[in-house]
Amino acid sequence: MEIVKILGIGLISVILIIVIKQYKPEFSVYISLIAGVIIILLIIDKITGIIGLLTALSTKVSINREFLEILLKITGIAILTEFAVSICKDLGESSIANKIDLGGKILIISISIPIISSLLESVIEILP
Amino acid sequence: MDINLLFKIAAIGILVAVLHQVLVRAGREDQAMMTTLGGLIIVLTMVIKEISSLFNTVRTIFNL
Repeated sequence: MEIVKILGIGLISVILIIVIKQYKPEFSVYISLIAGVIIILLIIDKITGIIGLLTALSTKVSINREFLEILLKITGIAILTEFAVSICKDLGESSIANKIDLGGKILIISISIPIISSLLESVIEILP
Repeated sequence: MDINLLFKIAAIGILVAVLHQVLVRAGREDQAMMTTLGGLIIVLTMVIKEISSLFNTVRTIFNL
């Protein structure tokens, strides 16, 4: 049922953007920003459900709690950077979009250093 | 919160455009620029409020 709301908001904002673009081109940016924010806020409660399921499963399967935290952080960073990159690309500022993308990637790598190190340790243990 | 915000911004945009034309026709270019800037600032505050609420929700959920 959520999908109808998301589609409605997306289509209405596209129509509004076309109308506004003739008079004031800069307002189309605000409309696309607000539409993006609203759609993400709509799906946020679904994401919390998924995260709850993940944490519940992780306690059962005894996955290291810290890895799940890092995984969630990475998804959060990915969502936000993708949001900003698509807005910048809409405006034609692809250089800024690439910088934001680069920053997001670097942050993700820097956050996932513990995972990489623990992976290496386990590999070294396995090797004779 | 969700859909009427979109309409509010579109309405402000059209209003500012119309006001700008009217004032330019009436020969007051400076006031026309003022109304455009005023409309811009109003919409910017709304947009920034929404974006900050998005960032806070995402930060609390993914505990970034």
